[in-house]
Amino acid sequence: MSDALLQLRNAVIDGRVKELEALTSAALSAGLTPKEILDNGLVQGMQVVGSEFKEGKKFVPEVLFSARAMQVSLNILKPLLAQTGTKMVGKVVIGTVKGDLHDIGKNLVGMMMEGAGFEVVDLGRDVAPEKFVEVVRRENADILALSALLTTTMRAMDQTIKMLKEANVRDAVKVMVGGAPVTADFALKIGADSYGSTAADAAEIAKKLIHAS
Amino acid sequence: MRVNYQTNVTPRLRVLSEDQIEQIVYEAMDVLQQTGTRVYEEEALTLLRGAGCVIDGENLVHIPAWLIEASIQSAPSRVLLGGRDREKRIALEKNRIYFGTGSDCPFLTDPCTSERRRYTKEDIYRAAKITEALPQIDFHMSLGLTSDVPVGTYDRHQLLAMLRGTTKPLVITAIDREGLADQLEMACAVVGGVDEWRKLPLFAVYVEPTSPLDNSREAVEKLLFAAEKNIPLIYTPCPICGATGPATMAGNLVQGLAECLAGLVISQLKRKGAAVIIGGVMSILDMTTTVLSYGAPELPLLSAAMTNIAQYLGLPVFSTAGCSDAKTFDQQAAIESTLSIAFAALSGANLIHDVGYLESGLNGSYDMLVMSNEIISGVKRILCGVPVDAEHLALEAIRRVGPGGHYLMDEHTMKHFRNEFWVPELLDRSNWDTWQSRGGKTLKMRVHDKVLDLIEHYAPPPIPEKTERELEKIVARADEAHRAEEVTQP
Ligand code: B12
Repeated sequence: MSDALLQLRNAVIDGRVKELEALTSAALSAGLTPKEILDNGLVQGMQVVGSEFKEGKKFVPEVLFSARAMQVSLNILKPLLAQTGTKMVGKVVIGTVKGDLHDIGKNLVGMMMEGAGFEVVDLGRDVAPEKFVEVVRRENADILALSALLTTTMRAMDQTIKMLKEANVRDAVKVMVGGAPVTADFALKIGADSYGSTAADAAEIAKKLIHAS
Repeated sequence: MRVNYQTNVTPRLRVLSEDQIEQIVYEAMDVLQQTGTRVYEEEALTLLRGAGCVIDGENLVHIPAWLIEASIQSAPSRVLLGGRDREKRIALEKNRIYFGTGSDCPFLTDPCTSERRRYTKEDIYRAAKITEALPQIDFHMSLGLTSDVPVGTYDRHQLLAMLRGTTKPLVITAIDREGLADQLEMACAVVGGVDEWRKLPLFAVYVEPTSPLDNSREAVEKLLFAAEKNIPLIYTPCPICGATGPATMAGNLVQGLAECLAGLVISQLKRKGAAVIIGGVMSILDMTTTVLSYGAPELPLLSAAMTNIAQYLGLPVFSTAGCSDAKTFDQQAAIESTLSIAFAALSGANLIHDVGYLESGLNGSYDMLVMSNEIISGVKRILCGVPVDAEHLALEAIRRVGPGGHYLMDEHTMKHFRNEFWVPELLDRSNWDTWQSRGGKTLKMRVHDKVLDLIEHYAPPPIPEKTERELEKIVARADEAHRAEEVTQP
């Protein structure tokens, strides 16, 4: 591995957010292609972070800083990647459903997905089904991620999926649901594509959903 | 004559010094004045503006220190609650401790099938019934959130089920202002009118700001209604260290206190003298699992510190204990429950809630509740301390028995052992053979036997028929008004 890539990879692993801009520019100047930087530097760094997290060696804030570090680099690479026709992993629209104000779990899911290379559009909390449908369509999203923390707001997930159908966008987007009172059974019942019980799960599942489609 | 003699009648716990408390209080004032807090409710904004707060944009409120101090002054330091049985009264005042359940868990472990499933109205009734039967549980919260009644009126259904199950004081939750109004009407029907309510309210309402530093419209509407109608208000957040609050304990206390005080100020502006109880569920985000930990040692630590602060301010306090991150009722549940109960009791907190929570607040467990009743009882024994006086120093008995004798048949033993020794009900101290001959049951099994026995055989005093009909009418009226709303059972 070239020196520049190794430095990038390590900076991502350590979550040294401030250094990523300079390191990315240096790597580009050294003649590395955006795709090489992404695949052999950033993604490899995040893979190390991911497995260390699973082993209990790294903790959530460290993972989030690594994800942020990768984002800094990605922001530089994105336009260049687009020029060469390389596709990003995918686009996610995320939010907490109508009537529900719990948002920290949803925030974590969003950040973990960013760490996995997704572009994430976060609509915040207390989001109406209509709003989800509108943004999914406008953004041409690959995945819609819905969070609910209340038994009483879970039905808004159901309503959102129904509304996606009515608007004829259900087939164009994968829907994943989660949040403390949500279960895999419930996800199945309302016709969601997937359910995840933690933010780490969520990122893995999202990747699978994308590859399956 | 013995001089400079001090007694310590009960053991004490103090987490913060007075200087540290003052510093935290001042920093909380700084947060409210400098950073500010968001309020998404018009009437409250008008009140705050009128009282001299600076409002940035539409809803970022900066509260001056004097207004906070005046609000602390005008709120009562003592709040009374009384159950359906008007003799079951609790006085929330400095250093008086009361234990109770938590509210609204989505799941329970079915007592018969052991399946993890969603709460129903019948389960809510059973939880209340179990509280009624347990001497150490002083007040009741629903423990679960029922999933088999209309979504828009579940709070009224739950109150009715709770009233049927227990005659003890309640802490309720409400969907919105209208739900709170209906529940007040129900309570007045039980106690015999508004004046009786004002003398001795039947419940306090639990309302939460959204950490960090947000006050939703729904929460503030309930707050204003409570202030107006003499409903004791618990306005307490769940700031999660490292997620919705600072990672450091002191920082989390500053923010949590600021969130309570913002609610206190609004309530005092609505009606001077309105009863407000501060405190909260204060713990950490477990940075491996992303769970808000109900079993972490930081929870009892933060809760005790918050109690120190509330006592300093002269406000009643809502605290947390008897809860766990364990998925089922097991050894972990016992350890975590014991730790937090001991700490909360020692700290002198008033309403100590969430007794019975498993799975970080997702499973409202009868078994955990029944076992915690025993833990509380044991902890209270410790809190009685060591009385030291001539009778208890027992010099005469020691002389009487003398070297080599024994105390088994001494009159001093006879006189004192019943009062000095705590007798467990569920914890087993028998020897191996006896234990074996009684079926060799573990604590878990003995607790569960008691749960099943209570469910099957315990009958709480019924609500008078006429009152019951009035209550049903109010619930039916609410159902009717919300009939159009769709109900999907999860
Ligand atoms: C903190 C908290 C609050 C805070 C929220 C602040 C905020 N900024 O978010 C406040 C105080 C505002 C609050 C309010 C209320 N709360 Co609350 N709250 C909690 C609490 C204690 C912790 C939630 C949390 O933040 N956990 C930490 C995060 C990181 O975990 P998480 O949200 O579960 O998310 C993880 C996973 O679920 C998953 N995930 C989440 N979303 C998604 C989405 C997808 C697509 C995927 C794949 C995965 C996924 O990944 C996340 C990260 O790993 C829970 C108890 C609990 N154990 O859940 C109660 C709880 C959820 N609340 C509850 C209740 C009842 C309420 C209130 C109604 C109380 C009231 N009567 O006023 C109000 C409702 C307000 C409203 N309209 O929403 C109940 C719900 C009961 C039920 N049966 O539905 C709970 C279970 C507590 C209880 N037992 O009473 N609450």
